[in-house]
Amino acid sequence: MPPADAESKGRVSGSWVFVALLCLLLLGQFFYAPYLTSPALQTWATVFVAICVQALPFLVFGVVLSAAITTFVPASFWTRALPRRAALAVPVAGAAGAVLPGCECASVPVASGLISRGVTPAAALAFLLSSPAINPVVVVATVVAFPGQPMMAVARFTASLVVAVLVGWVWLRFGKGEWLRARRRHDHAGFAEAVRHDLLHAGGFLVVGGMAAATMNVVVPREWLNALAGNFWLSVLALALLAVVLSICSEADAFVAASLTAFSPTARLVFLVVGPMVDLKLIALQTGTFGRRFAVRFVPLTFSLAVLVGVGAGTVLL
Amino acid sequence: MNRLTQSLVLVLLGGAVLRITTVSDEYLNYVKPGFRYLLIAAAATVLVVGAAGLFKKEDGHRGPWVAWLLTLPVFAIFLIAPPPLGSYAARSEEAPARPVGALTAYTPLTRPVNTMTIGEFLGRAWGDPARSLAGKQVKLTGFVVPSKKEGRWYVARMQIACCAADAVPLKVAVLGFPSPAENQWIEVTGTWVPPEADGPEPGTVAPEIDAVHVAEIPRPVEPYE
Repeated sequence: MPPADAESKGRVSGSWVFVALLCLLLLGQFFYAPYLTSPALQTWATVFVAICVQALPFLVFGVVLSAAITTFVPASFWTRALPRRAALAVPVAGAAGAVLPGCECASVPVASGLISRGVTPAAALAFLLSSPAINPVVVVATVVAFPGQPMMAVARFTASLVVAVLVGWVWLRFGKGEWLRARRRHDHAGFAEAVRHDLLHAGGFLVVGGMAAATMNVVVPREWLNALAGNFWLSVLALALLAVVLSICSEADAFVAASLTAFSPTARLVFLVVGPMVDLKLIALQTGTFGRRFAVRFVPLTFSLAVLVGVGAGTVLL
Repeated sequence: MNRLTQSLVLVLLGGAVLRITTVSDEYLNYVKPGFRYLLIAAAATVLVVGAAGLFKKEDGHRGPWVAWLLTLPVFAIFLIAPPPLGSYAARSEEAPARPVGALTAYTPLTRPVNTMTIGEFLGRAWGDPARSLAGKQVKLTGFVVPSKKEGRWYVARMQIACCAADAVPLKVAVLGFPSPAENQWIEVTGTWVPPEADGPEPGTVAPEIDAVHVAEIPRPVEPYE
């Protein structure tokens, strides 16, 4: 029987690879560790491990919550909780993002859980974008990071919610169901199996994003940025791209924005609006969860709307 | 990736994070101290999910290949044992970062030697209209960062809000002492050198301290401000 054969063969090889890795790890402590001391490599490794470690609690929280949604909350709950008309469900779901205190790593698995329970994708996506940006923890962090400038937190909240709802509506009008990879149903497998699968899957993609972000963090010197601070549109674009490559947790990005003193308040607002919605680790997570066809459309759409709405809000409110 | 391997990867990951949060203080190299219990809870969850999988029989359910990558942070933790960010990350000499959460009220300095964070020193040097630092002896703790300028060096500390990815370097130039080895942790005692009236704007260059004493110390348990 070929399938059974392949199965047992696969089991042996997979576990042997694991044993080999473990041996490498033990031997490496004695033989390789003394050579892994270049300052650039160590700085990269510190930032990489920091991103992974810092994201782990939020990822676990998001994965457990997502599994709870798919296993314990009946699908009928969502049809009652959200307005029947999808165009109305989008802003309601966007505003509901204010209650999930987590960073962006938690929101991806939760949104995916919502979609698999029959929530309109556009509404779940509005929730995905808004929750890391407008929850109370992030708002308080923004107020603390910009003492004496409460309008920064107000502008961030408003702009982020507007972007989330706009993206939701655009997706509702133009989005196609086939762009969104159908989530494999694990309903039959239960809570523990869903947690396990999502943890392995989303966790792996998080590592991809963490590696990319750590590389950019070490390779791109911040001096390049300051050269652009003088020109309005260039400075806005520079900080928008910085938010993408740095992939800082949304609860901490306000502090980094506050330290970018060479830039205008509007450029820093754009940094705060883009960061929780588009960044390298988020792109990796979204590609892994919803598929590549989704990400190549969703990411540019969100990025451009976030920049435009951020500039608009900055001009009006700051 | 089969079920057994999936479970082992989760056990390894959970175990590694538990190790750096309970057995050692290494997690402080990566995140704020407040993360400790969140991390312990998350790592324990991962460990339990992995361990529970070890006792279930193989069901032919293939895990995603991308899960192999979860072993990379574990490798980085055990092989590279990444140290806290040091002089390499603080080497940029342009536009020093402004410390966040800086003081809004500057209490007068009354002690003979005032121990303060580098963030507070920068806040007082750049933002205090009453010039409370002038003439007062202060003690700063940080690591040595060489400058590109001949004979100049800094005592520096990274400030993090959440994790090391958002670190900003805070630096004070030390005058009157030869530079210890790069990255050496030190305590600098000295007085602030007020900038000249026609000098650059406050906040655009690192403030200076005229040192009377520089002591080498071991790395503090909490490396960031």
